[in-house]
Amino acid sequence: MTNQSIIDPFALWKTIYEQTENNFSEAIHETLGKEEYAELLGQVQNGYLQYQKLIQSTTEMYLKQLNIPTREEISSVASLVINLEEKVEILDEKIDEATSDQKVLQEINKLKTSFTRLDKKMSQILQALSDNEKSGSASSTPTTPAPENK
Amino acid sequence: MVYTPTESMETLLDGMPEEYKKSYKRYQRALNILTKEPEPQVGQTPKEVIWTKNKAKLYRYQPNKTKTKSIPLLMIYALINKPYILDLTPGSSLVEYLTDKGFDVYLLDWGTPGYEDRHMKFDDYVLDYIPRAIKKVLQKSGQDEISLLGYCIGGTLTSITAALNPHLPIRNLVFMTSPFDFSDAGLFTNWLDERYFNLDLMVDTLGNVPAETIDFGNKLLKPITNYLGPIVSLADRADDDEFVKNWSLLQKWVADGVPFPGEAYRQWISEFYQQNKLINDELYIRGQQVKLSNIKANVLNIAADRDHIAIPNQTEKLMNKISSKDKTFKLLSAGHVSVTVGKKAARTTYPLIEEWLSVRSH
Repeated sequence: MTNQSIIDPFALWKTIYEQTENNFSEAIHETLGKEEYAELLGQVQNGYLQYQKLIQSTTEMYLKQLNIPTREEISSVASLVINLEEKVEILDEKIDEATSDQKVLQEINKLKTSFTRLDKKMSQILQALSDNEKSGSASSTPTTPAPENK
Repeated sequence: MVYTPTESMETLLDGMPEEYKKSYKRYQRALNILTKEPEPQVGQTPKEVIWTKNKAKLYRYQPNKTKTKSIPLLMIYALINKPYILDLTPGSSLVEYLTDKGFDVYLLDWGTPGYEDRHMKFDDYVLDYIPRAIKKVLQKSGQDEISLLGYCIGGTLTSITAALNPHLPIRNLVFMTSPFDFSDAGLFTNWLDERYFNLDLMVDTLGNVPAETIDFGNKLLKPITNYLGPIVSLADRADDDEFVKNWSLLQKWVADGVPFPGEAYRQWISEFYQQNKLINDELYIRGQQVKLSNIKANVLNIAADRDHIAIPNQTEKLMNKISSKDKTFKLLSAGHVSVTVGKKAARTTYPLIEEWLSVRSH
């Protein structure tokens, strides 16, 4: 009972808001969707842009008279920096590619070394086998039994 | 009464009913939040910068965390937002969720374009930035394949990148509320009608389109809900700390945009909204025709049923255009923002993406 007697301005406002939202959102949506509204928005936009253009040209004229760089001039310096950064980026990419190519070269060189070592080892093995065969045949010659028919 | 000092006001309240005191304290707190309290901390997941280009930065998140999923994930968000939108706060961060689940997560931060960037076009993002970022991610992760996740316009950019670069090793594509078909873009179709919307004058005059202008257009889709709603809900629940924290984060998410680079905006409005070229294979990027049918990667396409910015109808149309054999469309009960942050996103969106990607990331 006590609560009912209190007039809370916010509660009142909130009730109005909720009712407004519920009852009028559809109507507002319908209005916003009308072609006339789009036309009105376009007119407001044109007015705003014309105003902006006027402000910009006035500011630019003023800055030039004071010999202060304009936004256009400062941004052109920034563009030069960006272009330079782009060139660094391209160089960086090329270095990356070269480094990765270098890695491949290193791998190939490692493989070459391994193959050379393998080749040497194979030669040594073959040499050892051949020496072994020679020494084997030399030592076995005198002990070779004579053919029976001799 | 209006200029009564706080002390006198509180003395005055002493004699008033308890309800009044509570209401007064609540309004006082709401007023403080709106005028005095600092902005909430965002983007807190640890990260390192692994590459930069102009204002863009490529982040790798939680580099010291064990990566159990082999395929790295690169996130690409909308050109009009800031990078923390996918890493809002602990417990409400897609980045944090996925890194905690063992994903190697990267994000391409577009930075804030300056006046000198007004000539940037979709062509630059799609052919220079994203492919190079992909290359850097692959180099850093030491993997041969990658997953891409695009949010909003970031998803549209991702789809164009994938369509134009079939040689890129993209295994998985996740799109979150990304528009592809603009034949019916809701109220925007009407407002951006070339008979009324003076696009060229706008870009030529402003250079970059200010974040406030973009925000105004988005909020105008539901003016009462977007302008009055947050204030009413804050005044109603300013005594609930948890609510206030989430409210502040959400308001920051929504209001803290960056300018849209002029030429990219001209392309976005003219070739997408006004002429609907992408879905009809009529879009050309640096002379190359964009055919969405070139997309063969696995696709998860997520739409939100209360999204007024990228209407589900705009996002779903992609499914019939791509050549992917493994493709899934999911319509979630959420809005354009709540699909990425908040308790519900942590309960539904994050696990959906994690589960879908997990089985496709080994």
